[in-house]
Amino acid sequence: MAIHEKSLIEPERLLRHDNLVVDGVDVSGHWNTMITPRTITDYDDDFEAVIQRYPGAENVHRCWQCGSCTNSCTMYAQNVQFNPRYWIYAVRTGLKDEIIKDKDIIWQCVSCNKCTSICPKDVRPEGVMKALAHWLEDEGHMPKSPSRIFDEEFTEQIYARGRIEDSLVLLNFLKKTGQPLVPQWLRVFGVRLMQYLPVGLGMRFARNFFIPPRTRSWGRTGEVLRQYVREQKEATHG
Amino acid sequence: MQDTVLIVGAGPAGLSAAAQVAGVGYKAVLVEKEDVLGGAPILSGYARLVPSGEWARDAIGRMVKRVEDDGNVTIHKGARVTQLNGEAGRFTAKLSNGKSVKAGAVVLATGFTHFDSVNKPEWGFGTFPDVVTTTQVEQMVTAGKIACPSDGRTPERVAILLCVGSRDRQIGREWCSKVCCTVSANLAMEIKELSPKTQVFIYYMDIRTFGLYEDRFYWKSQEEFRTKFVKARIAEVTAAPDGRLLLKGEDTLVKRPIVIPFDLVVHAVGMDPNMDNPEIAKVFGVGLEKHGFIERGEHYTNTCGTTRPGIYSCGAAYGPETIDDSISQGMAAGARAIADLHGLTRKAS
Ligand SMILES: Cc1cc2nc3c(=O)[nH]c(=O)nc-3n(C[C@H](O)[C@H](O)[C@H](O)COP(=O)(O)OP(=O)(O)OC[C@H]3O[C@@H](n4cnc5c(N)ncnc54)[C@H](O)[C@@H]3O)c2cc1C
Ligand code: SF4
Ligand code: SF4
Ligand code: SF4
Repeated sequence: MAIHEKSLIEPERLLRHDNLVVDGVDVSGHWNTMITPRTITDYDDDFEAVIQRYPGAENVHRCWQCGSCTNSCTMYAQNVQFNPRYWIYAVRTGLKDEIIKDKDIIWQCVSCNKCTSICPKDVRPEGVMKALAHWLEDEGHMPKSPSRIFDEEFTEQIYARGRIEDSLVLLNFLKKTGQPLVPQWLRVFGVRLMQYLPVGLGMRFARNFFIPPRTRSWGRTGEVLRQYVREQKEATHG
Repeated sequence: MQDTVLIVGAGPAGLSAAAQVAGVGYKAVLVEKEDVLGGAPILSGYARLVPSGEWARDAIGRMVKRVEDDGNVTIHKGARVTQLNGEAGRFTAKLSNGKSVKAGAVVLATGFTHFDSVNKPEWGFGTFPDVVTTTQVEQMVTAGKIACPSDGRTPERVAILLCVGSRDRQIGREWCSKVCCTVSANLAMEIKELSPKTQVFIYYMDIRTFGLYEDRFYWKSQEEFRTKFVKARIAEVTAAPDGRLLLKGEDTLVKRPIVIPFDLVVHAVGMDPNMDNPEIAKVFGVGLEKHGFIERGEHYTNTCGTTRPGIYSCGAAYGPETIDDSISQGMAAGARAIADLHGLTRKAS
């Protein structure tokens, strides 16, 4: 039977194929609507450990669900769907789907750490939020966040030359995140800089932009560093 | 006669009362219905005690030895009091072994009865062999092996259900049994010690690890031993096709139904009034409070009293109690009895 009254059912639980033929009968569209059950049929016992390997989430198992974090949360005041207590519970019991369902809001944590200051069990919920955002990215549930893209550009330059060139980091970051290369604020910044910067320094900036300098005797250091970081990551996250 | 105190029940409370009475030079007569002394911790084979961490057989064993070695204590095992005549200062008790005891005061240290889980059939005890009680797990820990009774396998997942036989109007038990939260948190740690790979979940309505038990048992169990606490009162335990058990209920925090597989389900059974209490009330002429425990006298100046002068009580006879507090109350009841007897002798002279 077609299910018409769907207002009481969470949208993610409604399954529907646009084109479906069963035993020669066309049941496309709402004729094949199915509802997935709400019952939790198992815990994922390993999920908590996976999240705890991210720095900041080490204490997640201490949570006793008092709700102080959510109560104090800057983002919760804006959006009641933003509920660190709830996500921490989902981590503890291994309800991965609950985390994935909220992937579009978890990253909105502003790192104000009000939750961290108030938590009576020293869970450090802010760290858990960060860990979850990283996990969602690592698992491909989320596109890379701007801050991760920035971090990667930064790190790549270190590997290559043992130092960064600020203007290049910024330029590549803007490129990779699809932003205009010379946003308004940067233009103003540039113009002011020109006004007050000694000419010699300006020349050096320009040269460094086109021929980025390398740290002296950097040699193979970058390669070794890259290898080390890779090994550390594998050791932590498998 | 006025130098003798009759103590009924040789659990932690009664043993402590006897030691107190004998210690100040009075005579104690200890009447215990079982053939062994030590009360619930010994009769039910508890493992390590909260909060000392000592094995029950060692800790309570010392209490037993202390009274057995004391010349001022006379012990009747496998005996009950069938009749009590007289009044404060001069009681005569008839025992089921045919003996009679003259005593100036009586201490009822008759303790409690474990809740019988069969009375909550929806939780599977008596139906599924892998549904057990905390006393059975205590015995497993004492024996050094955690296993499913059905086939002896080590459980991958254990669920402990709190408040079984407590806080439940449906079965007329409106009290909190006081120790089961702490005992369960402790058992979860002991299970982990014996079988580190086993996951232990505790299903609770509230966690009542009062006083210093909070961090020493609840926090430690959660933080160091990774016990998972889930706020839900389980509705039903059923069998899965593969022979495991299924726990059905509502996860109140997620607001969703749960049906989770487990290997071993443990009932944290509560403390019922001693099932002998109606008889005890009749024989000793004392009142019972509304739940069926021995009724306390006014506590401030009639400490350890009952509704009848000259008859005192202590420990779990009064209501759910811990071992440590039962021991302290036993001492208090012993001291109270002696003080009253001393008062009577002084008045007479
Ligand atoms: C599973 C479980 C684990 C527990 N673990 C702990 C723990 O680790 N730490 C803790 O502090 N508490 C624990 N407790 C609570 C503990 O059992 C009680 O606090 C303690 O046993 C109370 O001592 P009691 O002497 O008052 O009573 P009991 O231990 O019940 O002793 C009463 C004695 O009186 C005898 N008796 C009863 N009726 C009569 C009669 N009519 N005539 C003659 N004799 C009679 C009984 O046979 C018994 O020997 C636990 C309880 C449970 C259910
Ligand atoms: S740090 Fe994040 S989770 Fe914590 S209170 Fe601030 S916004 Fe909320
Ligand atoms: S404040 Fe701490 S203990 Fe309380 S719900 Fe948040 S993380 Fe858990
Ligand atoms: S001590 Fe805990 S488990 Fe026992 S009856 Fe009270 S709340 Fe329930």
